[in-house]
Amino acid sequence: MRIYEVFLKRPGRDEFRHAGSIEAADDELALVLARENYARRAEGDRLWLVDRDNLVVGDGEFVAPNADKPHRHNDGSRVAERRQRLREENA
Amino acid sequence: MRRRWTDLSDFEAFLDKGGIVEADDDMPDAYRQEVFRFIEMHANSELMGGLTERDWIPRTPGLRHKMAVLAKTQDEIGHGHLLYMVAADLGVKTRAEMLEDLFAGKSRFHNVFHYRAVTWGDQIAIAFLVDAAALATQQAVFKNCSYGPYRRILKRIITEEGFHMRFGEERVLRVAEGTEFQRAMFQDSLDRWWWPAMQLFGPDSKPDDVLMRWHIKSERNEVLRDRWVQKFVPLLHGYGFTIPDPDLAWDEEAGRWSIGEIDWEPLKRTLRQGGPDSARRIGEAAANWSETRWVREALDRVAEQREAA
Repeated sequence: MRIYEVFLKRPGRDEFRHAGSIEAADDELALVLARENYARRAEGDRLWLVDRDNLVVGDGEFVAPNADKPHRHNDGSRVAERRQRLREENA
Repeated sequence: MRRRWTDLSDFEAFLDKGGIVEADDDMPDAYRQEVFRFIEMHANSELMGGLTERDWIPRTPGLRHKMAVLAKTQDEIGHGHLLYMVAADLGVKTRAEMLEDLFAGKSRFHNVFHYRAVTWGDQIAIAFLVDAAALATQQAVFKNCSYGPYRRILKRIITEEGFHMRFGEERVLRVAEGTEFQRAMFQDSLDRWWWPAMQLFGPDSKPDDVLMRWHIKSERNEVLRDRWVQKFVPLLHGYGFTIPDPDLAWDEEAGRWSIGEIDWEPLKRTLRQGGPDSARRIGEAAANWSETRWVREALDRVAEQREAA
């Protein structure tokens, strides 16, 4: 038996999302089980199943260094401050 | 590479800041055990509840409700399925071990599934009172649960439990507006299911409850129970039914209903598998498990063939 990670895409513009996992004997049975467990009410129009052993995982620690890169963001606060100042001056 | 914490207080500080634990984290063993125990009991309850529901498929009156009971059975078994996957990922027991323990009478499941649903009124009481109580406890976990995989799967489960509860509400409405016989049938069920539903929330939470401290549950048992009482007493009175609690009283000043003392002996008996219907239920589930062994074996052959290919 194998464990599959199940990804479900809702109809429309949504991206695929991880729904959960299931255990099955082969790909065909895995698909049926995934449909009957995660899309009983047609919550999605597409399923992706990935054998868990084939997942390449980057865990929290691997991603962590990028939590400290403020130069990759700009919250627009400098420009907003100037706009606010101009609004107050013209009020 | 796995996330780890220096000690328990470091871990608790992480949880207090709203940290979410994932399956591949190196979590403290006590936390792992506690989360596992909680999810295993939830999974067992879904499965045992699903089996009760299944018993009612041929006996449910009316095609629409029969089909809904069929769907609910699928939902409950499906919830068990998802929860066993989440529980197994904690690495405490495999899915097969959890099922074997359940059918050997070694594991716990919700008190309400240790009673027998004799009449259609009982099924309505279960869908109306018990499902609502179970849903309230699940919502209190979903709200702020520190274990990520459980919280994510609860979202789906809660949505589907909502369907069941609304069917329960509709059925209560129908019997309430029905014949004298139907009203008497539901009153009789209410008399038998009221207290088990109260007990389902569990005794008042202890001040040092680890489930609260580790942000697995976010509300105390007595708070959830009280909220449920405030909602259901007026609803049932509104339909003209009586609540089997002689000490139930309206506190004018507080604007709240207060209930009589709860006898915890029946709950304790169910936790020891000594409820009125425990033996039959576990026995039937165990028999079903052994009767379907050939399916599991056939699936194992399929898996072996796949590995060989």
